[in-house]
Amino acid sequence: MKKFLALVLVLILASSAFAAENPAKLKTTSQLKTEKLAAQRGTVGQYIAEDLLGDKKGDLLTTYEKYVDAVSALLQGKVRAIIMDEMPAKRFIASVEGLAIMDEALSEENYAMGFKKGNAELVAQVNKALAEIKADGTLDKIFAKYYETFLAGDSSSIKPEDIDFNKGAKGGKLVVGTEAGFAPYELKVGSGFIGIDVEMCAAIAKKLDKELVIINMNFDALPMAVSTNKVDLICAGITVTEERKENMDFSDNYVVGAKQVALVKADDYEK
Amino acid sequence: MRNNYQSRKALSRGDLLLGLVGIYLIYLLYASGFFTAEAWADFNRRFYQNFVKDRRYMMLVDGLKATIFMTSGATLIGLIVGLILSVIRVAHKGGAKIPVLNWLAESYITVLRGTPAMVQLLIWNFTIFASARDLNTQYIAILAFGLNSGAYIAEIFRGGIEAIDPGQMEAARSLGLSYGTSMKRVVLPQALRNIIPMLFNEFIALLKETSVAGYIGIDDLTRAGQNIQALTLEHSQPLVMVAIIYLVIVMLLTKFVSKLEQWLSRGRRR
Repeated sequence: MKKFLALVLVLILASSAFAAENPAKLKTTSQLKTEKLAAQRGTVGQYIAEDLLGDKKGDLLTTYEKYVDAVSALLQGKVRAIIMDEMPAKRFIASVEGLAIMDEALSEENYAMGFKKGNAELVAQVNKALAEIKADGTLDKIFAKYYETFLAGDSSSIKPEDIDFNKGAKGGKLVVGTEAGFAPYELKVGSGFIGIDVEMCAAIAKKLDKELVIINMNFDALPMAVSTNKVDLICAGITVTEERKENMDFSDNYVVGAKQVALVKADDYEK
Repeated sequence: MRNNYQSRKALSRGDLLLGLVGIYLIYLLYASGFFTAEAWADFNRRFYQNFVKDRRYMMLVDGLKATIFMTSGATLIGLIVGLILSVIRVAHKGGAKIPVLNWLAESYITVLRGTPAMVQLLIWNFTIFASARDLNTQYIAILAFGLNSGAYIAEIFRGGIEAIDPGQMEAARSLGLSYGTSMKRVVLPQALRNIIPMLFNEFIALLKETSVAGYIGIDDLTRAGQNIQALTLEHSQPLVMVAIIYLVIVMLLTKFVSKLEQWLSRGRRR
């Protein structure tokens, strides 16, 4: 019987030890250099966190497959901040209570679509189509639509059925790989997909007279998928970096100056 | 199996410990305000958001369909591959002169059992079938999981057959039956008693194994839960629901296996 009592006592003590609060609040991003950080695996957020932490990244950085997992870890106090893109961070703020974005941005990045190295023909076609939808205002309309709904916390007014995937097009298929857990850029709803990237790819597919096919996979599997021709291109809010350029070709940028920010708990942040 | 003597025994230490841990967990829930009206309302609201709104439960249903389709297909391939491999292995041991075939079967089993199913799945999808773009990815998953499972099923068959006392074969042969007839009429019927429950265990293991299929872009049950998470930004409920669905299927299968075991061992001398 003594053993059981001891066990219960240990459990109680352990749970109270985990519940201990860290008193000093975060003020500037420079404090993050010695804190536990999270990022989605394979994203630029991970690279920025690695740069911030330096030698300590092995101990302090946790990478997650899904953003939802990272946000749970943050709310449970397992990490102090998530390094991620500003837009998805804003969507989290709009839908989950108790989160805040640190004012100071960590860097600014550009997004582009990724192609297999050497696939110059498709890159040229997509760039031409992208330039056209930029010029006629289609792209701006898509962005505006998602800013008004998603970032205001409304995730149900955009339906996947309303997006024209150009079914049965004569020019064949345009297979796009993405990771549909990155709203407002891409999100799986029911059996379909919505998001800025999805609608942009749909508009490009229409220009190319191709049917859009979306394949949803893990973010860190995307470069592999495009380099083995599993998909024609990948479009998942992918940041253009010099390192990635060595293994992948990129289209022209479709988002310029997307901020990388630190998502933290609201009660842990002092402006 | 638990006999009458054991079940009449007083509560064991293990039961007491389990009870205490249970009480402690309920206390923790109580202390965190789980049993208040607000908490219930919140739970219901989140439940509505996760599963009811916009017919989101259909995402789980579709995921379950994919999981069951992959598991069944993979089991079928596994059975065929396992049968062929085990026949080779058993025949070789029984004196057939097939050293090359036996070596091939052994190597197959070593390689496929010696590497994780997920790594095999990635290799099948991104290396071997790299150029197969119009092929439904689920078929690639069925092939990968099926061939993997075949290696395990081969060992289940072989183990089941070799567990039968060699005296049975010797007795049958000494009565003038051929090797094939002795196998078919004497050894295999007894071996099946051991094999069938183990096959169902393999099926259960496979069902859970397919949860890594999301990696190659298949929205299976696990991935469906993650898709709901991404949609509602809620962590616990979709995952717990997915876990419950797996658990219910496995429990139903387990129940079925234990009934089957009873039926198979009917008339067996104890």
